[in-house]
Amino acid sequence: MSAENKSTEKVSFFARPAVQSILASLLCIVFGLLIGYIALLFINAKGATEAIITIIKNYFTYPTKAAALKYFGNTLVKAAPLLMCALSIQFCYQAGLFNIGAAGQYVAGAGASLFCALKLGLPWYVCLIAAFVAGGIFGIVVGILKAYLNVNEVISGIMLNWIGLYTVNMLLSGVKETASPYTVTLASTNKAAVLPSIGLEKFFSNNKYVTIAIPLAILIAVLLKVILSMTVFGYEIRATGIAKDAAKYSGMKEKRNIILTLFIGGALAGLGAAFLYLTGYEQWSVTQSSVPGMGFNGIAATFLGGLDPIGTIFASYFIQHITSGGSYLDKNIYPSQISDFISAIIIYLCGFVLFFKYFLNSRIRNKKNNAEGGNK
Amino acid sequence: MVLLLQYTLLFASVLILVALGGCFSEHSGVINLGLEGIMVIGALGGALTLKYINPSLPKLLIVLAVLGTSILCGVIYSMLLAFACINFKADQTLVGTALNMLAAAAATVIVKSINIAENPDNVSSTVQYVTAKKALVVNIGKFQFNWFMLVALIALIASYIVLYKTRFGLRLMACGEHPQAADSVGINVYTMRWAGVLISGLLAGIGGIVYITAGVSEWKFENGVAGFGFLALAVMIFGQWKPVNIGLAALLFGFFRALSNVYSGFDFLAALNIPGSVYNMMPYIISLIVLALTSANSRAPKAEGIPYDKGSR
Amino acid sequence: MAENSEYAIEMLGITKRFPGIIANDNVTIQLKKGEIHALLGENGAGKSTLMSVLFGLYQAEEGVIKKDGKEVVINNPNDANDLGIGMVHQHFKLVQCFSVLDNIILGDETVKHGFLQKDVARKKIIELSEKYGLKVDPDAKIEDITVGMQQRTEILKMLYRDNEILIFDEPTAVLTPAEIDELMQIMKNLAKEGKSILFISHKLAEIMAVADRCSVLRRGKYIGTVNISETNQEELSRMMIGRDVQLVATKEDKEPGKVILHVENMTVPSKLHHNNAVKNVSFDVREGEIVCIAGIDGNGQTELVYGLSGLENITTGKIELSGKDITHASIRERSTSGMSHIPEDRHKHGLVLDYSLAYNLVLQRYFEPEFSTGAGFLKKNEINKYAEKLIDQYDIRSSQGAVTSARSMSGGNQQKAIIAREIDKNPDLLIAVQPTRGLDVGAIEYIHKQLIAQRDSGHAVLLVSLELEEVMSISDRILVMYEGEIVGEFEPKKTTPEELGLYMAGAKRKEVGA
Repeated sequence: MSAENKSTEKVSFFARPAVQSILASLLCIVFGLLIGYIALLFINAKGATEAIITIIKNYFTYPTKAAALKYFGNTLVKAAPLLMCALSIQFCYQAGLFNIGAAGQYVAGAGASLFCALKLGLPWYVCLIAAFVAGGIFGIVVGILKAYLNVNEVISGIMLNWIGLYTVNMLLSGVKETASPYTVTLASTNKAAVLPSIGLEKFFSNNKYVTIAIPLAILIAVLLKVILSMTVFGYEIRATGIAKDAAKYSGMKEKRNIILTLFIGGALAGLGAAFLYLTGYEQWSVTQSSVPGMGFNGIAATFLGGLDPIGTIFASYFIQHITSGGSYLDKNIYPSQISDFISAIIIYLCGFVLFFKYFLNSRIRNKKNNAEGGNK
Repeated sequence: MVLLLQYTLLFASVLILVALGGCFSEHSGVINLGLEGIMVIGALGGALTLKYINPSLPKLLIVLAVLGTSILCGVIYSMLLAFACINFKADQTLVGTALNMLAAAAATVIVKSINIAENPDNVSSTVQYVTAKKALVVNIGKFQFNWFMLVALIALIASYIVLYKTRFGLRLMACGEHPQAADSVGINVYTMRWAGVLISGLLAGIGGIVYITAGVSEWKFENGVAGFGFLALAVMIFGQWKPVNIGLAALLFGFFRALSNVYSGFDFLAALNIPGSVYNMMPYIISLIVLALTSANSRAPKAEGIPYDKGSR
Repeated sequence: MAENSEYAIEMLGITKRFPGIIANDNVTIQLKKGEIHALLGENGAGKSTLMSVLFGLYQAEEGVIKKDGKEVVINNPNDANDLGIGMVHQHFKLVQCFSVLDNIILGDETVKHGFLQKDVARKKIIELSEKYGLKVDPDAKIEDITVGMQQRTEILKMLYRDNEILIFDEPTAVLTPAEIDELMQIMKNLAKEGKSILFISHKLAEIMAVADRCSVLRRGKYIGTVNISETNQEELSRMMIGRDVQLVATKEDKEPGKVILHVENMTVPSKLHHNNAVKNVSFDVREGEIVCIAGIDGNGQTELVYGLSGLENITTGKIELSGKDITHASIRERSTSGMSHIPEDRHKHGLVLDYSLAYNLVLQRYFEPEFSTGAGFLKKNEINKYAEKLIDQYDIRSSQGAVTSARSMSGGNQQKAIIAREIDKNPDLLIAVQPTRGLDVGAIEYIHKQLIAQRDSGHAVLLVSLELEEVMSISDRILVMYEGEIVGEFEPKKTTPEELGLYMAGAKRKEVGA
């Protein structure tokens, strides 16, 4: 009797959607790392174990606590824009839209914020708004094409990614360093455009790149969670995503919602870029010929986060953690892209999550049925 | 001018091959957004063959070997999509995207590993194939004929015949339009969809190697294939999922892509002093416009993108 | 074939269980060679499950299937095909953009080195078509031909495969009366040629007209088999439902009041083809009356309602609701101005299946101050309270009450939820499109009562129905639609189903003014 009670308790535990999501994500991570490890074994078996540990340890490889904290800060600095991209994709996904254009919206945000900061000499908050608007406009284009002309948002998004890249390269070639393809630094050109750190850097061994971007990104994630689950707007967005026709039937303005959703999604991604480039951590290279991967890694983070804004905070951190970890590999033995490889594997595995949940639920149901049958 | 024609035909060949690949996959009912990734993997296979093959072998043999490895790589890689989307009913958009990212990362990792193994100081992701590449082309006067142009033409004709004249084509299209109907007359929808996806892998694999050997003798795999897989999808939509129309659409897109390679050779274009980036953007802008004009009344296969579940009738 | 069994196919003692229910409980059906055997039962009586077992889509837990007296095992549809069993499905399994010929040969193609030999097929099809009187154009595309011809294509598909056992699943639902007569004749011809036919239906008159014998299922149980020559509709009805049912709803006479819905010269374009689906239609619906749009499926009823509810923009014309011009009003404005709409497709339009029951119950009102704050937050407590109230009042059954996912509810209770939501808005006008489709008798009665209650409380009801019986029993006024036009207006007391049928088929028409 007691044994049976235990089993039913256990069953109900695994039946919880949140538990299933976390379990699925953990499995994706484990398998992703495992496959990454196998790849490392192929490249060079001798150092593979150490290499995978390096990736997982990331900044913990530094012996002193101070150094580790500093580089922990760096990972956070890059996790914030990643989180924003992930939130962008997620918000749109709730409305049934796959915003692969987040990468291009991110580029637009980078271009707008850097242009305002370096060329126009505007302060940081104006640059943030510029990035928000620029990303949003890119999103709106996708939205209008989708809502009124039935253009697949994935294809138009990709096209805009490239258009954005070349446009921004052109735009920023006026503010690049003479000797390199990189834009001039914020610190030397316009200090007022650097995001304020409000003393956060002290917690990270004076890592000056740690700014309000990080808490802001987390705050926005929480805000999105609230919007999606508690507001009328969220109710409409999700209804549109799950059942477009029912949403239309009930009088929701689906075209307006599609465009608005993509505007917000685009704006989030654009803001994400500003969260990185306005820290001065990175400079834009005007000769780059591929779209920055941040927007694509956002896909990994959002699905790994179980399509939940809060889960995505952790997932974004994790993705960035292993990405940063990859850069500590011995470059003369292992390519650092092994981290991207692991991220990509994780996204692929996320494709199986639905099936996994379905499998889990049918197992639980069968078990329950059997248990009931046994009682009779 | 000859150069413009040559590049137009080359890029059109790429687009024809890959768009036909998308066409087969979608006619079977699976949206293949992973074409870009399949191209990269196909290109990788072909590029490595070019790198390692003995350049003194007969030219035909080299062409066939490159073709063979590209096809093999493309087909194997497309299995990842088929497996997830057909057997496990995964979100086709998500898996396609994952494959694109995976291909870029995997190709970079593989090429870098090879380069590092050869010379620990060479951490680039570039494969060079200067000598062997010569086997792929024949000079006819000023025009450089590439054997892959012929391959694309054959693929185009073959696709038309297969889709409209054979039992296989009829069954394939039935699975993309109304899988329940196909199932009810004893056609195995899963098998046909696998076939559709594998053919798309085959064609996109070739497309990949054609793309990276068009005009250059080395390729940096970090760059992937610059959205060409998606351009091919735009070509496919513009061509309304029909081979002949796809051929024509590919020529149009190929022209604009070629322009960015050779615009500096035209005095009047060079005189306009338009930045190179604008030419680079052209194919993408054109495709956005074309999509905007053609998507509203698209004749996409009705059941595409919907996983087939035997249980729901 | 040397077997001398009297029966072409026998399903003996079939039992099929699903978690929670027994779909078939010891069912026996024996189909004689060359006979037309009707299988009668309500929606949910287990007819579909039984056929799925015959086609190998499900495996029965108990029972055997015999062909020509020999036991056979059917694991999948291919096995059924090999045994010569073919079926015309209720929803045709035809590829819309293929020709008739391509659809017929699909799966059984004649090929030479993989290439289609369509000429061979065309010859065979034309032969078959002449032999059985099945007129089709082999080169026409399915999307361009009538439903009747589509059905003939389905029949030819079976004949092309030399099937001996032909199953017709509710074949008359989509046909005009004339086409129904034609189908009956075809079925008789087929039987005369030695084919054995299983005819699944819940329409008694048709069974009486065409079948030799009839087996009845009720709630998964086998009730019995009778010879048609020795029975009548009343007996069959009792067997099917288990009691005498009066499908004729009782309602008092009532004088209609002022005009609620006024439609003037409305034209609506079609999504499916280039013509207009609704052409220049005018009519009124008044307080305290149920106006019914009757007609064969696909004659513009769907688009008419799309035009009224705002799901589709109308090209010309004018719509007024309670005196207010709503021609260009949005869907939401129409809804808040007093229009409720029970949609034709409850899964596509009526419900957000992955939302909870509570969220679905406020789908038309979530934005009202009662359920949301000025700042745009949902009042979850109010929503749940309201849901509890409706669940109670309209007897909506679900496993976990207000938080149940709409997807997991039964069809009847999903429909009840929609009706509760739409009626509780207290609308001036209730538009109900095929509200009883696919439901069992109990649910149908319930819905009819609700519609009549709306009428009795002085509201206007516009009902779109394909079932003549329903049309005759609950409407106050009948408008018949044919090819997008209203071709006749009737009072149920002064007309007969036969007369309506002629108008529905386009054989007769009269001028109708608003």
